[in-house]
Amino acid sequence: MPQDFLGRILFILDNYLPSLLRGAGTTILVALVGTFFGCIIGFIIGIIQTIPLEKNDSLPKKAVLRALRLVLYCYVEVFRGTPMLVQAMFIYYGSMELFGIDMSMWFAAFFIVSINTGAYMAETVRGGILSIDVGQTEGAKAIGMNHVQTMVNVILPQALRNILPQIGNNLIINIKDTCVLAGIGTVELFFASKSVAGSYYWYFQTYTITMAMYLVMTLFFSRLLRWFEKKMDGDESYSLAHTDTLEQTSGLYKFRGKNRKERR
Amino acid sequence: MNDEKILEVRHLSKKFGENTVLIDIDFSVHTGSVICIIGASGSGKSTLLRCINLLETPTSGEVLFHGTDITKPGTNIPAYRAKVGMVFQNFNLFNNMTALKNCMIGTRRVLGLSSEESHERALFYLNKVGMSPFINAKPRQLSGGQKQRVAIARALAMEPEVLLFDEPTSALDPQMVGEVLSVMRTLAEEGLTMLIVTHEMAFARDVSSRVVYMNEGVICEEGTPEQILVNPQKQETRDFLSRFMNG
Repeated sequence: MPQDFLGRILFILDNYLPSLLRGAGTTILVALVGTFFGCIIGFIIGIIQTIPLEKNDSLPKKAVLRALRLVLYCYVEVFRGTPMLVQAMFIYYGSMELFGIDMSMWFAAFFIVSINTGAYMAETVRGGILSIDVGQTEGAKAIGMNHVQTMVNVILPQALRNILPQIGNNLIINIKDTCVLAGIGTVELFFASKSVAGSYYWYFQTYTITMAMYLVMTLFFSRLLRWFEKKMDGDESYSLAHTDTLEQTSGLYKFRGKNRKERR
Repeated sequence: MNDEKILEVRHLSKKFGENTVLIDIDFSVHTGSVICIIGASGSGKSTLLRCINLLETPTSGEVLFHGTDITKPGTNIPAYRAKVGMVFQNFNLFNNMTALKNCMIGTRRVLGLSSEESHERALFYLNKVGMSPFINAKPRQLSGGQKQRVAIARALAMEPEVLLFDEPTSALDPQMVGEVLSVMRTLAEEGLTMLIVTHEMAFARDVSSRVVYMNEGVICEEGTPEQILVNPQKQETRDFLSRFMNG
């Protein structure tokens, strides 16, 4: 048995790296799936919350919409206002005791992270929608689009760009916070680390590795999202369309290497 | 111009809280006519136009489109708006789309045309407003006048029965005003029914079949361009015009 710090770290890596990596893989999978479905939940709630209620709308429509909004409001407040670990316990054990549903570990993990993220995203999406100039909505209405068409074609693509940093934030938070799922037995990175640390009582060494692994994951995804943001912004320039294709034949060829250098 | 009334506004009033903006407005638009609405800022011109397109809900009164009141509950408002186009002071082009996509999205999603058809139509109308070289440009890459011409093409692509213009040149500098007005002139000559809120008196005089002068939420005077702009009968109209002409 190695006695020094570095020796112990190497020993752990040598023997337990696969199990730690599996844990990290689970963490990433749960975080990605949870964030993805959380975003979808957020977008759906965002659309519903921003349906305009007009004075001459029919009574049933008003009633249904009001009721729906109340339910969604409660959902957001409850899941934003309680810790995810407690939610996980509540849902996992509650569903078993009340309804006799034995959730699989995976389903429970995805479900809990998704609805938790959804509650946060609902507010983020609402903010994103509100950030888009009302003129965009009016422009869409003026050519006859209904609320859903306006949202899907015009508002949400722009809102998505604006809230992308916040989605990234949520993903990073989820990568870290899935560690609470160890509480319901999801074998993610923290759970795996705990087992490794426990077998030799080398806590400091094990968690040094765990820290590094979490940091690598979060750094990777934050860089990835930055790159994606840039890509979404599109080109700074545009090409003129010429009806006569022979009009401009010289000077159009792009020399790849040279052009790359010219870009920032 | 013929006798059919395409749009009819009856006893229309609009209040924002305690603030009354429009009082008992009555007027009608005949097919093929061009009506210019003039008046000082805050006189309710824009609100009137927005009420006609139901971007604002009228407090009371009716708006008849081919004789049907569209302010009644149960009206298919998107379908109505697809037939009554609108061009805004601030263009309101969709920032996430190129000029071409801006003109295609309505025909594609609202009218349900095939992508070839809507592409063709978009190109036709972009060409008409002289913007065909710029189909790949995003709104942020265009000048004000160019944006407004794309916005007009977007409205035209829907092939509306009436086109409403809400101060289409007010956000443009003088050089660009000309390019937008010349497009609108062409449309007027082609017989498109238009309702234009404007401060361009020369344009109003040249193209409109009727001019409406609004003051403090009411239609103060209405008539042919000569009646209103050359020989106004009411003192308010005269005051407004003299203030306007003398800058």
